[in-house]
Amino acid sequence: MQVLIADDDPVSRRLLQSYLQKWGYEVSAAQNGAEAWRLFQGATFAIVITDWMMPDVDGLELIRRIRGIHRPGYVHATLLTARSQKEDLVEGMEAGADDFLTKPFDRDELRVRLRAAERLVNLEQSLAEQNRILRETQAALVQTEKLASLGQLAAGIAHEINNPIAYVTNNLVVIRRDTQAALAALDAHRRGDSAEAARLEQEADIGYFRENFARTCDKTLEGLHRVRDIVRNLRDFARLDEAEFKEADLNDAIRSTIEIVQHQIKAKSIRLESESNPLPPVLCHPGKINQVFLNLLMNAIQACTRGGVVATRTRAEPGEGIVIEVQDNGCGISPAHRSRLFEPFFTTKPVGQGTGLGLSVSFGIVRDHGGAIEVDSEVGSGSTFRVRLPLKPPTK
Amino acid sequence: MTTTKHPILVVDDESEILFSLRGLLRQEFELHTAESGVEAINIMRRNAIHVLMTDQRMPQMTGVELLQQAREICPEAVRIVFTGYADLKAVIDAINQGRIYRYLTKPWEPDELVAALRQGCDEYDRVTQRRHLLLDLRDYLNRCRKLSGDDVLQFTGNDLLERIEYVLAADVGRGGLGES
Repeated sequence: MQVLIADDDPVSRRLLQSYLQKWGYEVSAAQNGAEAWRLFQGATFAIVITDWMMPDVDGLELIRRIRGIHRPGYVHATLLTARSQKEDLVEGMEAGADDFLTKPFDRDELRVRLRAAERLVNLEQSLAEQNRILRETQAALVQTEKLASLGQLAAGIAHEINNPIAYVTNNLVVIRRDTQAALAALDAHRRGDSAEAARLEQEADIGYFRENFARTCDKTLEGLHRVRDIVRNLRDFARLDEAEFKEADLNDAIRSTIEIVQHQIKAKSIRLESESNPLPPVLCHPGKINQVFLNLLMNAIQACTRGGVVATRTRAEPGEGIVIEVQDNGCGISPAHRSRLFEPFFTTKPVGQGTGLGLSVSFGIVRDHGGAIEVDSEVGSGSTFRVRLPLKPPTK
Repeated sequence: MTTTKHPILVVDDESEILFSLRGLLRQEFELHTAESGVEAINIMRRNAIHVLMTDQRMPQMTGVELLQQAREICPEAVRIVFTGYADLKAVIDAINQGRIYRYLTKPWEPDELVAALRQGCDEYDRVTQRRHLLLDLRDYLNRCRKLSGDDVLQFTGNDLLERIEYVLAADVGRGGLGES
């Protein structure tokens, strides 16, 4: 462990240095505060032992400077002083010192105090490491959840897009075939071969083509518009281009999220009742808020039996912010599960259907926006999830 | 080219799909369409259908469920399912149980779809012809047995008749023609 010592008294300095080296520390020694500050800036020291009384930059000033720059890793600072009054102690601690050692120092006392400092530094380092791992794990969890819910969606969306693509492609093949037949019949007419023309018209069922040509084109366009809308909704939903907080109308967000789950709603013949009241713009991360809606909607749909009812409601709460409710008349949440709802990996869904992360990630997102999620639920009659959001997230 | 068109029934809950397929198939087939399983069953009760092609994912009755019921009402119809990839599991199970002649994926290639329906019609014709042949053979054998007092011929005739019955019954399961 690297230790920096600063003392303008050469005898005391050399003594310190020799003890510390004997105990296995890597020591850098400075003759005064200014030199110590230079050394400190050029390397990483976990422990600093400094004399208080030094010309120009004294021990207090050195410690203040050390505390003033923000570096990763804690620096343990011990003041070496002949002063032992209570006021001195207060002054030194306020400057940022962790410990005192009175001069002339005792060898054993120095040893145990150093060891205590070392313990503190080690503790701080392992804490910082664990924090870093936690943060990484949390980020990975959020990502996993997002991928999992997108995966669930992908199958439904593929189906939604496949249908229009199927009939658009088919219509074009029909139009091409029938137009060619019509042109062939026209050529026969021009040649004056009306018998051949009539045969061609009959063979290609030109009557049907004449009657349905415009409709076929219209349906084809409609199909393309449908694909365009699905893609637009997906983009609105993901808001991939937005990494920052932004003012958004959450009614739009709800709408695009509902479009995204439309397929699941249809597949389960669920009746969706959507009541949206005007909302003031909310400063939020729209992509993340959509992720919350998606989770709540998917849960509501999954809680319902076939033909169930899911309702969404939005309203402004003057002076507070906005409220979004997602209600279902599904199975409800048992009281035993209520307290564990937001726990990561807690799920009651069959394996492969839920990650157990949806609500815990949603909870984190809403909390980061300064809001809260409330739950009313009764077994057998359904659940209501209520998201409250302030118009602005809290400033950090 | 066949002089009479094969009657086929296409089932999909999306009217756009049915309209689009009508454009494609109207020249070559006698096309019936239905937007639900129930409607399809009603049509099959009233009309002879040679090939039945249904979407898998529909509200109320799924395609595989419809095909299963169709087997009771109209066992001679060749059964085809067309579906998106997401529904493959149910369809594969149905195929493995021998209830479906073939499946097509959505979105389909129009040429492939027409070819598959033609194939279905050929299969219908083939099985029908075979059935008629077997029925004629059965009649013939029965008459032979009445005429002859020969024990060896009786025995061979019984054995043949049993095999004919077996083949006729097995064809039902394959989506071809069975006992009426």
